[in-house]
Amino acid sequence: MFRDIKKKSSPTNQAEKDKPKEIPIPTSKLEFLKKIKEETNEPADLIVKKISESITIVFLDFLIDQNTLNEQILTTLEKMNDATPNIIKENLLISEVDLTSELNKSIFEMLIGAVLIHVEGQSELVIAKISSYQSRGLTAPENESQVIGSQVGFNESLPTNISLIRRYITNPNLCNEKFMLGKETNTSISVLYIKGIASEQNVNTVRQRIKELEISDLLDSAVLAELIDDNSFSIFPQLLLTERPDRFSDGLLSGKVGIIVNGSSMGILSPYTFVEFFQSREDQNLRWPIATFVRLLRFAAIFISIFMTPLYVAALTFHYEVIPQPLLVPLSESRSIVPFPPIIEALFLELIIELLREAGARLPTKVGQTIGIVGGIVLGTAAVQAGITSNILIIIIALCALSSFTTPNYLMGNVIRVVRFPIIVLAGFWGFYGVMFAFCMILIHLIRQSSLGVPYTAPIYPPRWRDWPDSIVRLPLPFINRQSIINKPKNSNTTEEEKVNK
Amino acid sequence: MRTALQINNNEKINASLLFFVVLSTQIGVGIHGFQRIIVEDVGNSAWISVILATLFSHIAVFFMIKTLKLYPSNDLYGIHQEIFGKYFGNFLNLIYITYCSFAFYTVIRNYIEVINTWVFPNLAQAFISVSLLILVIYAFTGGLRVMVGVCFFSFMVSLWILVIVFFPLKYAHYNHLLPLFHTDFISLIKGAYSMTFTIVGFEIINVIYPFAKEKEKASKYVHLGLLFTMVVYLIIIVISTVYFSEAQLKKTVWATLTLFSVIKLPFIERIEIITICFWLIIILPNLCLFAWSAYRGVIRIKKIKETTFILVFSVLILIANIPILTRAQINRFDHYFSQIAFYIVFFYPFLLYMIALSKKLLKKRERSN
Repeated sequence: MFRDIKKKSSPTNQAEKDKPKEIPIPTSKLEFLKKIKEETNEPADLIVKKISESITIVFLDFLIDQNTLNEQILTTLEKMNDATPNIIKENLLISEVDLTSELNKSIFEMLIGAVLIHVEGQSELVIAKISSYQSRGLTAPENESQVIGSQVGFNESLPTNISLIRRYITNPNLCNEKFMLGKETNTSISVLYIKGIASEQNVNTVRQRIKELEISDLLDSAVLAELIDDNSFSIFPQLLLTERPDRFSDGLLSGKVGIIVNGSSMGILSPYTFVEFFQSREDQNLRWPIATFVRLLRFAAIFISIFMTPLYVAALTFHYEVIPQPLLVPLSESRSIVPFPPIIEALFLELIIELLREAGARLPTKVGQTIGIVGGIVLGTAAVQAGITSNILIIIIALCALSSFTTPNYLMGNVIRVVRFPIIVLAGFWGFYGVMFAFCMILIHLIRQSSLGVPYTAPIYPPRWRDWPDSIVRLPLPFINRQSIINKPKNSNTTEEEKVNK
Repeated sequence: MRTALQINNNEKINASLLFFVVLSTQIGVGIHGFQRIIVEDVGNSAWISVILATLFSHIAVFFMIKTLKLYPSNDLYGIHQEIFGKYFGNFLNLIYITYCSFAFYTVIRNYIEVINTWVFPNLAQAFISVSLLILVIYAFTGGLRVMVGVCFFSFMVSLWILVIVFFPLKYAHYNHLLPLFHTDFISLIKGAYSMTFTIVGFEIINVIYPFAKEKEKASKYVHLGLLFTMVVYLIIIVISTVYFSEAQLKKTVWATLTLFSVIKLPFIERIEIITICFWLIIILPNLCLFAWSAYRGVIRIKKIKETTFILVFSVLILIANIPILTRAQINRFDHYFSQIAFYIVFFYPFLLYMIALSKKLLKKRERSN
């Protein structure tokens, strides 16, 4: 059940594990085949083909590109009767050909998608890498949609994702470091950063955290993000998960370190701070007054979403006197037939909204719409008519739910929705004092966090006055300081030269 | 005796943050009702006393920083040990630690009283103190960076109060301010003396100064902080003077809160209930930094872990909070506290500077001989 996660105690441990015992390749064909089958447990998709007396090829079906196999490898090999591995390597018109004398390595390559060519009497194998990935076509990102801007999202293949990034950033300084993670899955992951823009310190931290990780499997980047962040116990995400290559590239260009995991359609960007979670790539594409308005709207939405319902509960339970008379009359009228105290009423409605959201997320799109109608209209109207809730509370709850969806990041949106529940309870028991207590608790928690060693509340606190304007509003392009101090650029002069719009 | 502090660069804070530190430690519970105490002494010239008190605090801070500069990278506790030797130095340290703890206790006590009087008459004292202590423990264990962060955000999110406090001016009688300067100087000084309880807090400089990154700029920001506090107090005292009559002010315990209760917005009334609850975040920096400065002293006497200290400290505060005090008792307690604070904060820095300076000069002469 439990994932086997350990942080390494000493680096020597790592070196030992990286050196499995080397098995030489048997020179005789029969023995070689026997050994291969033994090591791979004789899978059904293992294909062994004899080309001539001396040459045999072994590969796994569906992992390789059939066309290349037929047109290049088979035709070339047919012409050669008794060739050495070296000659075969030189004659094959394939970009990636290797020689090896080690069985485990060759099996590993075969599992990725290589053809192993064995020559009778030779202790070296030719590895022709012609892997073909069956991957989904590139589609528009579904979770982070934006109106203006590119409409392409990552898919599940690592090479495709990296090529997408390279399309955006044509620069030899874009570094790509490969790592393998997971004892069972051997998932390949890539760490991307731009040399000269990303700080060495951040790159080293990411590198070291990935290296020190000892896990049995890694199926998604979200898991990796949680494993390498600073505080896994916090409710707040500390690294950004994005499915947008343009947002990813934007992050790299401002000095962040990116991680892409094979098999996952989400890239990780680090370090990421609290304020940045509420910025969208689209802000850059809109005219600055509009983008500023939208950004401020989003910040207001956080407060509405977290504190509106608790304030309602607190005011109606303890502090009637803060509500002006004209407003108090309709409020008490709508609440007069409700048999529960406000806290029960609010929790009940919040729960309904959460159920609707969860049901909508799990169901197929077409059914999901129906659920929305059933839940939103039928349940809402019926609940008010039945006298279970007041209609003013329905307005407030709907407003809160709406506000929480304006967050451009799904993970952060979830936090905002969930964090509301304990605050409602506090408000129900201790009124405004309880709400304030929760506010202080969240504030202290946020100040305590860090992302890759960068304070989570930067650039607000510790105050970097220069970065303030651009993190809260969106400045006109000529004034944007591309690399905020959050990302600790190594050479701050690099940005001065490439100012936009001049 | 080696007492200098070894402080890591990443533990240090920017000098500009001292502005927020000074500001947020000064403004706390005193502001709720400082008008009555001063007006009893000086009548409608209370605002002059506020300015005078600020002037004295500037002088006190001037001497504090002078003293701290004599002993680079050392705080008050280290300076005590350096000047008076281990035993008497530690005795003085103990007094200062006790003072910090009392300040902490006073803040909690006054806040609980305000909450019980204005918002929740039935909320248990123990509950309020436990919840406050939980917040303090959480911030305290995060280290100085987190506590200074609390100061910073406490200032930033409370700025709106400075705006709404102007609303009662609608009902102002500006002739309450007249006649100007009719009070004699002695009463003005007495009024300034009565400000002690409200204005202290900046003595945190004694302890936090070695943690500032750029020492040269530090004093500038500290003085700016004092000035800003003065502006806040001035605004409130002037508004109170023109809103209340003198006789009313002498009878109003929490004049600032009464001012808030006048404010009426289209969607909200009785703002004082919100502000009193909101005051939680304004007293939080007070509590955190007083606890911290006590801690800095305790580790000079006995090395203990941060967590152990704050837990023991919290339990002691909780025990001290058990007896229920009446308004008169709390008033008397505040009075005693402010008398002690006057000597420790305003008088003692000057004395210490003189002693430190003469000791330095003596040493110099010895060396040259």
